[in-house]
Amino acid sequence: MRIIKLKKDNLFPFLEVISEEADLWAPVKKGDKHVFKVVDDFSQIEMNSTRTILPPRKIFLPPTFDMFSVSEEGYKEDFSHITKKILFGIHPCDIHGLLILDNFYKQAYLDPYYLEARKNTLILGLSCWPDEYCFAKSTNTHIIEEGFDLFFTYLKDFFLVWIGSSQGDDLVRLKPELFDEKLTDKDIQTYLNWQAERDKAYKWDLNFTAMPDLMELKYGDPLWEKLGDTCLACGSCTNVCPTCGCYNIMDKQFLGGKDGKIMRHWDACTLEEYSEVAGGENFRKKRSDRLKLWYTHKLQAFISKYGKPSCVGCGRCIVACPVDINVRTVGKALLGEEEDAFWIRLNKEVTK
Amino acid sequence: MEKGSKEKLKIGIYELTGCAGDALLILDCEKELIDMFKAADIQSFLMAKSDNIDGELDVALVEGSVSTEREKEELLDIRKRAKTVVAIGICACFGGIQAAFLDKKDWEKNFKKVYGDKKMTHTKPLQSKPIDAYIKVDYYLPGCPIGKEQFLSTFNRILRGHPPELYRFSVCVECKWNENDCLLNKGIPCLGPITRAGCGSICINHNLPCVGCWGPVEEANLTSEFHLLREKGFDYDFIKKKMANFSGTGMADFLGELKGEKK
Ligand code: SF4
Ligand code: SF4
Ligand code: SF4
Ligand code: SF4
Repeated sequence: MRIIKLKKDNLFPFLEVISEEADLWAPVKKGDKHVFKVVDDFSQIEMNSTRTILPPRKIFLPPTFDMFSVSEEGYKEDFSHITKKILFGIHPCDIHGLLILDNFYKQAYLDPYYLEARKNTLILGLSCWPDEYCFAKSTNTHIIEEGFDLFFTYLKDFFLVWIGSSQGDDLVRLKPELFDEKLTDKDIQTYLNWQAERDKAYKWDLNFTAMPDLMELKYGDPLWEKLGDTCLACGSCTNVCPTCGCYNIMDKQFLGGKDGKIMRHWDACTLEEYSEVAGGENFRKKRSDRLKLWYTHKLQAFISKYGKPSCVGCGRCIVACPVDINVRTVGKALLGEEEDAFWIRLNKEVTK
Repeated sequence: MEKGSKEKLKIGIYELTGCAGDALLILDCEKELIDMFKAADIQSFLMAKSDNIDGELDVALVEGSVSTEREKEELLDIRKRAKTVVAIGICACFGGIQAAFLDKKDWEKNFKKVYGDKKMTHTKPLQSKPIDAYIKVDYYLPGCPIGKEQFLSTFNRILRGHPPELYRFSVCVECKWNENDCLLNKGIPCLGPITRAGCGSICINHNLPCVGCWGPVEEANLTSEFHLLREKGFDYDFIKKKMANFSGTGMADFLGELKGEKK
């Protein structure tokens, strides 16, 4: 893979050129958090952002969109929400998240909306620095070798830029004079130092190799009932997770006429309706059973099928869950270590 | 109605005790109003027309709670005439603000404070209750007021003989779809997790916590929400008031059980 160099001051001129033909999406501030948004004013881009509230999958499959328009002639697929996009500033863990969704939507179940949106979006990754919630090193998703068109490692005064695809190369060729082809020994050393420091900056880790067995061994553990008693079934963990991809569909008929639309919206296995079938039977009426399903997906089932967990260590569930049910506290509890968490405190308080 | 039948469904829209916000919202569907009147035979709708008939109905939409003897009788009569009854708005579904005094004694005290010893001549006042305290309700369409999109979709589905299709999860789901930073996690008392979605998380989108105006979601984990708010520093009375504010009867059992918890 070719690696070139871009001076810091040359970034905006480069973004200027490439954003002429596509919407540029990048992380910007929302309160003290971050979100991906279309940016015109590059100074709004948060170069040192932490995880965005919603994962980048919202750019490919928005939380709600119209899937079909319906008329007397039949159904017609509606791709109108899909436009040419460049996604700048996506971190390694989130690129891994997209690769995991690819397993699902590009291989197991071909999803035309996802495929089309993926085809129309260029991925320009950006290096990051862990905060107290990140644990991407535990999931080995802190580094990325594929899944991007360009990847920028931010080294204070300059970027090292990995060219990951011919489309990425085409972008560079739009303005090659902005880049330096030659790296000095000092540049390389700066990068190596940065990487060593960054790897040391992860503040906690989780032993993922133990997780599949522990999920198996502790499937009947009272732990799950405690989690179920506390879970609010708010669906936040699922909605913010970059590797969740379930959805539901709803009819939107128009009054009087025969026309309508079929709307698709994000669904979550942590919600009650998710496992309900025709006739009202529900296979996972209990919240504890739903959480078991979610954690089986994240910590066990995906590993046996694809050799890696479907958790990328982004820390979003840790930030989002109001009652501290997340990969960290559940993972630690499975390992027999007790974290300080509301669901543990509640169970002590209410059952004492 | 049988499929393919040319007869339009006979519909009645009624208002009991409430702010008439739901009826107003229906009127406010300006773009769709003509289609609505074309698609259905609207027999009674006091806010919209004067030639109202009180006959047999296919569907009655009832807004408001029952707070007088006369309303109770009117409601019983509506139920007798209508094949399907839909409760629209939080007052009809859960009692609304006027049912926030859960305790009969509290209500009596408050009633006295407002009306003194005045004699009620034209009807007997009752402690405000949702309509299912008196009649069987087929469908519930919550909201304060109900949402336009949800109302139109429900109306449309009922005309076609389908049950309403509502979101059955909490406000948090829509709140996340709108990519809000969670207020509850910042220590602001948000009732999103126990409140039914459908409003588009409009309050949180404007940086205000949810006060539960769409009523409890089916699976509301009131125990967990209650203790979470306690831990965040709010006292028993504050939380109880907040939870009972819009949907007293939906919370009554839980709040009743909680009595012993008061610290
Ligand atoms: S399980 Fe949690 S930490 Fe893992 S990818 Fe999903 S949101 Fe991120
Ligand atoms: S685990 Fe937490 S975030 Fe997930 S549904 Fe339950 S309460 Fe919500
Ligand atoms: S702000 Fe309120 S509605 Fe939104 S996620 Fe947090 S608790 Fe739920
Ligand atoms: S956010 Fe809560 S209080 Fe606000 S409109 Fe929605 S349900 Fe009502």
